[in-house]
Amino acid sequence: MHKTIPSVIAFLVFSTASFGQNKIQISGQVTDDENQAIIGVAVLETVSNSGAFTDENGNYVLDITSFRDSATIYFEMENFQTEKRVVYGTSILNVKLVNDVNKLNEVLVVGYGSASKKELTGATTQVGKENIEKLNIPRLDQALQGQVAGVNIGTNSGSPGGTSNIRIRGLSTFGDNDPLIVVDGVIYDSDGLNSLNPNDIESVNILKDATAGIYGVRAANGVILIETKKGRRNTKPQITLSSYFGTQQAVNQLDLLNATEYAVIKNEMFGTAGEQLPFPNAQLGEGTDWQKAVFSNASIQNHNISIQGGSKNTSYSLGGSYFLQNGIVGNEKANFERLNGRVNITTKLSERLRLNSIFLYTKETRNALPENGIGSVLYNTINAFPTAPIKTVEGRYSYLEEVNDIINPIAQMENTYNTSWVNKFVGKEEIAFDITKNLVFTNRLNYNVALLDGKVFSPLVWYGPGKYANNAANEDLDPVQVEIADGVQIDRGASVSESRTTYTDLNYEGFLNHKKNITPNQTLKSTLGWSVFKRRGENLSGTAFNIPNNSKDYADISANLASGGFLNNVSSYEFEERLVSVFLRTEYNREDRYLLSGILRRDGSSKFGPNNRFGLFPTLSAGWLLSEEPFFKSDVISFAKIRTSFGVSGNDQIENFAYRAQLNGEGVYVFDDIITIGTAIGRAANPDLKWETTRQFNIGADIILFNRLNTTVNYFVKNTFDLLFQPDVSGIIGSYGPGGYPPIINAGNVSNKGVELEMRYSTNSKRALKLNAAYNVTYLNNEVTETPQGVDFLPGASFGVGGNVATRFEKGFPIGYFHGYQTDGVFQTQEEIDNASVIQEGAKPGDFRFVDQDGDGQISFSDDSDKTMIGTPIPKVTMGFNFNLIFKGFDLSGNLYVALGHEIIRNYERQQPYANQLAYALDRWTGPNSTNDQARITTELNRNGVFSDFYVESGDFARLRNLQIGYTLPTKFTSKAAIQSMRVYLSANNLLTLTRYMGYDPDVSSGSALAVGIDNGFYPQAKTFMGGISIRL
Amino acid sequence: MKIKLYIITIGLFFSGCSDFLEIDPPYTQDAENFFERQEDYERALVGAYDLLQGSFLNIWIGEIASDNAIAGGESVTDTEGLHEIENMSHDAVNNELRSIWRWNYAGLTRANYILEFKDKIDFEGKDQIIAECQFLRAYYYFQLVKFFGDVPLILDKRLGAEEAKEIERTSKSEVYRQIESDLKAAAAVLPEVQVIKGKVTKGAARSLLGKVQLYQNKFDQAASTLDSVIQSSMYSLINDYSQLFSVANEGHSETVFDIEYSGLEGGSYGCFICLEGNVAPGFQGIRQYNGPVYGDGNSYNLPTQDLYDFFDANDPRKDATVLNLDEFISKQANPDQIEYAKGAGGHTGFYNNKYIKKQGEIGLPDNDLTSPVNYKVIRYADVLLMAAEAHNRKSSPNDAKALEYLNLVRTRVGMPSISSNGSNLTEDIWNERRSELSGEGLRFFDLVRTGKASTEIDNFVPGKHELFPIPQVEIDLAGGNWSQNPNY
Repeated sequence: MHKTIPSVIAFLVFSTASFGQNKIQISGQVTDDENQAIIGVAVLETVSNSGAFTDENGNYVLDITSFRDSATIYFEMENFQTEKRVVYGTSILNVKLVNDVNKLNEVLVVGYGSASKKELTGATTQVGKENIEKLNIPRLDQALQGQVAGVNIGTNSGSPGGTSNIRIRGLSTFGDNDPLIVVDGVIYDSDGLNSLNPNDIESVNILKDATAGIYGVRAANGVILIETKKGRRNTKPQITLSSYFGTQQAVNQLDLLNATEYAVIKNEMFGTAGEQLPFPNAQLGEGTDWQKAVFSNASIQNHNISIQGGSKNTSYSLGGSYFLQNGIVGNEKANFERLNGRVNITTKLSERLRLNSIFLYTKETRNALPENGIGSVLYNTINAFPTAPIKTVEGRYSYLEEVNDIINPIAQMENTYNTSWVNKFVGKEEIAFDITKNLVFTNRLNYNVALLDGKVFSPLVWYGPGKYANNAANEDLDPVQVEIADGVQIDRGASVSESRTTYTDLNYEGFLNHKKNITPNQTLKSTLGWSVFKRRGENLSGTAFNIPNNSKDYADISANLASGGFLNNVSSYEFEERLVSVFLRTEYNREDRYLLSGILRRDGSSKFGPNNRFGLFPTLSAGWLLSEEPFFKSDVISFAKIRTSFGVSGNDQIENFAYRAQLNGEGVYVFDDIITIGTAIGRAANPDLKWETTRQFNIGADIILFNRLNTTVNYFVKNTFDLLFQPDVSGIIGSYGPGGYPPIINAGNVSNKGVELEMRYSTNSKRALKLNAAYNVTYLNNEVTETPQGVDFLPGASFGVGGNVATRFEKGFPIGYFHGYQTDGVFQTQEEIDNASVIQEGAKPGDFRFVDQDGDGQISFSDDSDKTMIGTPIPKVTMGFNFNLIFKGFDLSGNLYVALGHEIIRNYERQQPYANQLAYALDRWTGPNSTNDQARITTELNRNGVFSDFYVESGDFARLRNLQIGYTLPTKFTSKAAIQSMRVYLSANNLLTLTRYMGYDPDVSSGSALAVGIDNGFYPQAKTFMGGISIRL
Repeated sequence: MKIKLYIITIGLFFSGCSDFLEIDPPYTQDAENFFERQEDYERALVGAYDLLQGSFLNIWIGEIASDNAIAGGESVTDTEGLHEIENMSHDAVNNELRSIWRWNYAGLTRANYILEFKDKIDFEGKDQIIAECQFLRAYYYFQLVKFFGDVPLILDKRLGAEEAKEIERTSKSEVYRQIESDLKAAAAVLPEVQVIKGKVTKGAARSLLGKVQLYQNKFDQAASTLDSVIQSSMYSLINDYSQLFSVANEGHSETVFDIEYSGLEGGSYGCFICLEGNVAPGFQGIRQYNGPVYGDGNSYNLPTQDLYDFFDANDPRKDATVLNLDEFISKQANPDQIEYAKGAGGHTGFYNNKYIKKQGEIGLPDNDLTSPVNYKVIRYADVLLMAAEAHNRKSSPNDAKALEYLNLVRTRVGMPSISSNGSNLTEDIWNERRSELSGEGLRFFDLVRTGKASTEIDNFVPGKHELFPIPQVEIDLAGGNWSQNPNY
């Protein structure tokens, strides 16, 4: 939370007195509106930097040394409005502070400036540090889940270091839906959010509506402004230490067949097709529980230290942290380690010149296993059959020979060595110059440098005959022989791949902030600024073979023994992009009642060709503080504001140089038995390519009831036009050769409409039992309103192996909706099939009866005419509920998230005869009237495996994301040890998940808009139990 | 002061910083400033050859659509398009047919790109590069007319997105005319022998021309074209039929035109056309096989009992063409220890023994995708049988010549000579084609060409299945004005 003037409990450094000055003493008592004394109010005089605190009776004494006769005194206290009084000479000054539990005067950062909550005209939500830190969630975006209406956080992977995606007011484009993330004014990449330490964050402001348009061509997906913690001038160093340790475990296990059940099912499967029974004796007991072997408990720990404070002219905040999370699958093979260092310094270089310097450093190390798909550890775990042991009697890992493409997951984890490192330096140097009292000129240089390194060691492995993942020639791990020329064979041993990518963002920004009182009742605030942004990326990668001893100890390119380096290879790339911008914002305020604001931004982006390089993005917004009107009298409504905004913003997040034709296709052929590299046309040109445009309308109200219940409601319509994407083009253009792509074009529209409600309730801070509670709910309707000409739909992800497309981008439907066959029970008898009005070719009793969507009297399997919408991955309704109860020293808090009205595709079942199955198979169709829900199980040819609603499940879930109980030791004990406060707590994340979804985790998402809601054996989030302590010195 | 500020503001807004935004992609050439040097032409030519490697689909569809093979695979939804083609239930939504459409157009676009700039500079050897381009363009168009009949004919230029919505389908006969003209021009320039293995030759151009003429029932012209190949004496049948397709034997005297593959580049399932290996042998391999000689694969394109039974029991081509797996296993040293699995996409007990993953011919991972086995598009036996057919069916038949060629093919495998004539001889030649060339992707097109498809292929509807449907989405993307092939 930002305050215009510092308000934290602090001791003050008094300035030294000097000659010829007036000494004034002010004293008095500070009370609240119920005449209760307030303890710890900071009483400040800014010119001389004098300060004092109120004692337990609310009394204070302030000595001021001043050249002047008068002095301005500020009274500051958390949850109260700051009072300002002018005194003339020594006097007694009793002050009554007005409770500001609703934080109307809280200042929010809105991009190149700030505004109090009261004067905001946009739909902006702030999440304070108290709602981030406490959750102990490793990643900031995960911590935001369920906290802000209109902001949906989906998890791409629950593995340590895995990513999430943030969707503000729905999916609005086919391509990049990530919001713009700005940390202390520095443009951050959403992929890099893992680098931020949630404990370093002071606040997160989310600009959801068109007022984000101050960021122009990059604002269409919304803007998230993150502020890191800052120190306060004239405060003594305050040291905060915090630590937690925890253990994580799997939330659930899939209900899979045990060995006996498996044998019974497989016997039936083969038997019904007239084949030999694979398990003449089906009494095989429980067999191997692969899940038990793969999942393990894993540790998590986090340690933070921060120091903040300030002297007369300088304030600072320093932080350091260490975080380590092991994976519940793979433990150290799938872990994430993060080291952070942070230095924020603000210095008054002179009365009119300030330097703001911010430096954030992060080092990350991540080990990862193959995830979410065929070949991933969990996919293998689910499909490995229980009749095979983990290790055979000879002591080798079992081969699971009966299933294709499925390998022993335990062996796989053991043989996976995939490590990546990130070194990230982010910061800014900012000089603010007060040209006049009301005109500030700010210049800053922002930088964001990330060094990404990766190393993958691939030892010679043998998972069994015919396994795709083998890279040894045989069980004895002999290397494969490769013929590099006629009769010349060389070994192809273990290999290591390394890569280094450097991203450098440099950004110069300058802006003028002007504030003017036109009349006593009218103020005008203006911002004029410009920005020049440049990003470069450089990559160098290499792979080397024949690593000695097949050992990780020598896993470096330098150690390779590849003869003549024949098999080794290198690659590299470079790119650069630039953005030039000018922006203007004017805010008019009349009598604190009528607010009007206009934004105009012009951007030039190197992403586009000369035809469409520059774009103009206007926004208008207005607010009316109804409750400030003289006629407004209400005991119920303490505050009411109506706001509206309309504006245009853009999205330029596409590949560089997509507007021009390049020769970056792949033209490779084999001449003289040598792979010969040529040249080919790459992506086709589109010189008219331009940004996609989002027009957004928002109307909303902020209402405070009984001075306690803070309510915000918004209705929005967000229409995105000229979507940037790469739809299929006619094959005759010739774009579908290797490395060739269709041109990126502007086509298609998407509409998002929704209603958001946020409510916050706080009890009076003086009550013994304090309650803070917040609830938010979002209703969202996402619809594709136009597809490119000639394109009925864009195909998305596919189902199963070699299966047809299961998701689509199609007019009239949500983005990425599921498209397949609808089932209507199961054919019970041959008679039923014969008499059916719809011909379903090849159907036998026990097969699914599909619905004839086009009414032509037959089920067509060779085209899409009988497929229909069978689900959507986008929740209609999401809700969040947070509460915090404090009684004496005890506190209890919780955080609940609910997502409703969406579906998930169960795509982790390998449809192979010997693959293990979920236990629902026990309820299969076995004869007339056995069941109408599930098809028969047989190796006979059948259509039951086509993508149908049988493979689509409701994705509704409610999750208790955090529940925590803490105890703050009484000050009288801790103060003896010079400790200001000390809190110990027990906390649990993901303690409870209510869902009917059968998979590991219903919170399954994807960064790719058309692959959301497809569960390919998702790495689930863990249930975590933690114990922690935080100490303030 | 105020006015100045406004001017500055307005100036800032509309001043261009265009120079700052004018950046070029680092280290890459643009499509427009290419063909400055001979090397540019040579490199672009490599790119035009690249699409030949998509021809593995020709093996699949040419066999699976015919009476020779079923689709197989992991399940009936595994590469569903092939299952539909097997059952003759295919329609205008079919990924495999769409790949044929896209890849062949991509290939001819790359050839056209060079031909568009054929006059930009001059250098020695340019003629041959142009001739190779013409050959490649003809090959890609021939694939397209074979599958789809009338197709848009685009020559010597790249098509813009808007143009693509207005272009009409060109009649099959006109496309054939262009193919013939390209091949004749290529044959006139290309050398009989190429120093670089994998480059097309005069013999390849003539043989393809002969095939194109035969497909149009231009028997007189086909006879003379194919005779010229035979008379060039560049080719001969090799003795051991079973060694025709081995990697070790690549480039043997029977190779007229083959598509080169390599096992030296790994691959993944994401993009089959990006691979440098041949997809067919791995996919046609024995599912989860664990035993001698062969590697394991995905049990695609499985020969039928009908094909197996077609062969004369004494014909060595029977086992060289079709692997009878159980019989093979029973002859091995420890048959009990040899395991394999049946795919749920269908099982016949037979495997394509010409293009199949074998030990010693395995590429880098994922080795189901990276077979180094070349695809023999035209081999000399095919030339002889085509010539025989042309002589037998031409306006003044020369059955003696036809028999001479036919019996050359039969003698090689120790089969007795044939001495029939007239239409009996025609039948004999057609049967010989099945014995000699099964498993190589020719059967379906031979059956269509000879009018026998409806009698030999279950569910084949005359007047419909001679051509495949143009993928509906391709019709839509091209402006939606084309009519679909008949009866789809």
